[in-house]
Amino acid sequence: MGDTNSPDTSAPAETPSDAELSSGSESRRNALVSVLTGFLSFVIVAIPSFLAGAFYLDPILRRKKSGGAAGGGALDGFIKLDATTDSLPDDGTPVAVTVKSTLDDAWNRFKDVPVGSVWLRKQPDGSVIAFNSICPHLGCSVNYRRSDDDFFCPCHTSSFDLDGTKTNEVPPRNMDELEIITATDGEPGKDGKELWLKFQNFRGATEQKIPV
Amino acid sequence: MNALMAWLDNRTGYKSLMHEALYERVPGGARWRYVWGSTLVFTFVLQVITGFMLWSAYSPSTRTAWESVYYIQNEMTLGYLIRGVHHFAAQAMVVLMAIHLVQVIIDGAYKAPREINFWLGMVLMMIVLGLSLTGYLLPWDQKGYYATQVTTNIMSLTPVAGAEVQTLAQGGNQYGHMTLTRFFAMHAGILPALLVAFLALHIYCFRRHGLTVHDENHAPETSFWPDQVLKDAIACLAVLAVVLLFAIFKGAELSAPADAAVKFDAARPEWYFLFLFRFLRFHAVESIGLVWGAIVLPGVIMGVIALMPLTHKFLGEFGHTLNKAFIWLLGAAIVVLTAMAFIEDRNDIDHQAALAEAHRDGGRAVELASGPDRIPVDGAVGMLRRDPFTQGPRLFAKHCSSCHRYNGHDGRGMLVTEKKKVAPPTASDLGNFGSREWMRSIVVDYAAHLSPLKNAGWFKDAKAKEEAGEDVTYLNPDESEMADWSGYPESLLSDENSENLDALVEFLYSEANPGYIPADVKEREEWVNALAANEQLAAKGRAVATEGAWAGDLEGTSCADCHTTIGEDFVAVSDDDADGYPTMAKYGSAKWLTDFIRNPGAPRHYGAKNEMPAYPPQQLTDEDLNLLVRWLTHDYLPSDVPDYPSRLGDLPSAGDAAADSNEADEDATEGQDLEENAGEEATEQE
Ligand code: FES
Repeated sequence: MGDTNSPDTSAPAETPSDAELSSGSESRRNALVSVLTGFLSFVIVAIPSFLAGAFYLDPILRRKKSGGAAGGGALDGFIKLDATTDSLPDDGTPVAVTVKSTLDDAWNRFKDVPVGSVWLRKQPDGSVIAFNSICPHLGCSVNYRRSDDDFFCPCHTSSFDLDGTKTNEVPPRNMDELEIITATDGEPGKDGKELWLKFQNFRGATEQKIPV
Repeated sequence: MNALMAWLDNRTGYKSLMHEALYERVPGGARWRYVWGSTLVFTFVLQVITGFMLWSAYSPSTRTAWESVYYIQNEMTLGYLIRGVHHFAAQAMVVLMAIHLVQVIIDGAYKAPREINFWLGMVLMMIVLGLSLTGYLLPWDQKGYYATQVTTNIMSLTPVAGAEVQTLAQGGNQYGHMTLTRFFAMHAGILPALLVAFLALHIYCFRRHGLTVHDENHAPETSFWPDQVLKDAIACLAVLAVVLLFAIFKGAELSAPADAAVKFDAARPEWYFLFLFRFLRFHAVESIGLVWGAIVLPGVIMGVIALMPLTHKFLGEFGHTLNKAFIWLLGAAIVVLTAMAFIEDRNDIDHQAALAEAHRDGGRAVELASGPDRIPVDGAVGMLRRDPFTQGPRLFAKHCSSCHRYNGHDGRGMLVTEKKKVAPPTASDLGNFGSREWMRSIVVDYAAHLSPLKNAGWFKDAKAKEEAGEDVTYLNPDESEMADWSGYPESLLSDENSENLDALVEFLYSEANPGYIPADVKEREEWVNALAANEQLAAKGRAVATEGAWAGDLEGTSCADCHTTIGEDFVAVSDDDADGYPTMAKYGSAKWLTDFIRNPGAPRHYGAKNEMPAYPPQQLTDEDLNLLVRWLTHDYLPSDVPDYPSRLGDLPSAGDAAADSNEADEDATEGQDLEENAGEEATEQE
């Protein structure tokens, strides 16, 4: 081997232990260096790990409200539905209506796209109630069951009265009722034919109604 | 605890593994010169950490790549840092790799028995370069898009199967979704997996042969832990600090979203490939065939490096000297070529303008993406295509700038030249079109306002004919009814009329209905308030315009004497109903301007005196006209992006006294521009 600098390569490198290398003060110095080295090694790994952690926790850290309906004044936050009081059957049969609104999805803003669906029902006094069609159990869709004249979720057989009260033990709570207002030309009023809805989704599987 | 550790050791043997890893002997003592390999491993770990994070938010498709990177960079928690670190650590890796390679060659660490490890190192180098190349495209911005186009086109030069190689790399005949998915798979999957495998082999071989000790008697022998580890850790910390500083203070750039339809003159590869870029620019290289410069020569260089162990084997120490000389020469060539590329670009006024436009577009794209409408379904490209602030200047440069100027430039910051000389404008400068200054200048100083017309060929012809006694109808700024009327500066500017003049200007300005209507509720309020505050003044101005309320020499005159429709809504009155004077109905408004550009020669505009070509829809589509008009009337989301600087000071003034007097109106800041621009112009003329 022409290279005098090359160490012996036939056997694995010898590995002197601390004791072999050092006497008293030497080993104290070594301990100090070890601590410092350990600390620095920790720092160079901790910094990028911290950045990465914060980045990954972004969805929790900001909790920025997404979505949001246009409008102003008394109807701020309400969405005008395609249905009107006239379009709902007087006998109280529920009607499913698609809710369209602005949807923010990360970097995109989609305008006037379906964001959910509600069951609307005209009550005997002529007022309208609205239920989010998402099942409060685990998030499937609640259907209107014509045969039993009730609401029913086929996933795990939750069932509800037409006024949203649960009728068996499967769902943790009643159906999620949503605020709905009648209006004329955007002016809230009892006799209005327009239907304005405050659309919200709620967490599943909880007894309380917790907005997401 | 100890029992637990003992149990673990019994099952895994971790203690001897740790011992093996940490207590490698270091003859001659720990040294700074041994840190480079460790810093490379550290940088790679940094890339893995930040890379996985970016992966968690990145979306590879032509409609979401730029958008998701925008989101990472501008909206996610610490996203700009994660991306910044990834961006600059990638560059640090290339630099460290170069240092590592040079040191290995100089110290002769490639010599037997370490040839295999040297070759493994070269494979690693190729993988890292591949990573940097694939990574450059992923943000799908103009910069990465066009730079990578060059690379994939070079691939097509590959002998025998060039076209196939290119098609495979880009996942189709042209760039698209599949280009991104494939590049991403390479960048985040295949290449890193290869890198890990080869790195393991590289480190294994390194451990097998031990350090290439530079000087055995430098210091007493020590072990890897802790002495060498301390030095390594400090070096890694330094690398991390540098990368972080760059990430915080410089940040990774994101230029405008890639658009194959929008040319990008500022395309450059990453700086460490600039030498190759510059090399390919030599005409001599081009003339021997691009394939030689772009593929064969780099291949030969890599080949020479790869053969270094053999060179040494057959030629002994002389071979080693040759190898060292080669790497120094190569390094020098790279430095020189890189410096040349930098210096040439700095002095290249066209490249600088293209760069400025790239920054403007990039900043604007980010601004729109975070604006009230965010990014629409068709992506950021569609968003920019519909933005007057982005498209207006381009349309102006294309359609208008042969006669008009915009603050002295062609709309995109460039001077208009003709036969290598700055061409004088032959129509008004539209930089302040519709503003209060514009309106005032028309009323008070009509002749000067239109003086650029006198530079036009048609004007000179007409004037010559007129002087020869012919009867010609043309617009002479000095001799027209309007010039006569506004040629009473003493009266118009006198104290008794000053209030009326202010009112008239405010009225004309409000008729042009200038500016953008802010989407932001609060901003809109301020904007409305500002207009409302001047409403009374404008109302008074309306009376001045329609009834005339002037004193002195102008007494008894009013704008409505000639411009009968002033103060009315703009309607395109038929040719028969025109009053024979340019209509001032909502003069300067978007409606007026749209009609004017379509029919400048209609009797309701300049009639027989018109010289401007009409722009029918075949020439300027409705969408383009709309964008142009909205840009000229400032009807767009307001921008904080630095606009093209004024170049009024660079315009030729020789032999044009009227233009001079026009410039004299510019405020003091223009004077500074003039000096700055004079320097630029000098370089341009070189
Ligand atoms: S989700 Fe509806 S019953 Fe379970």
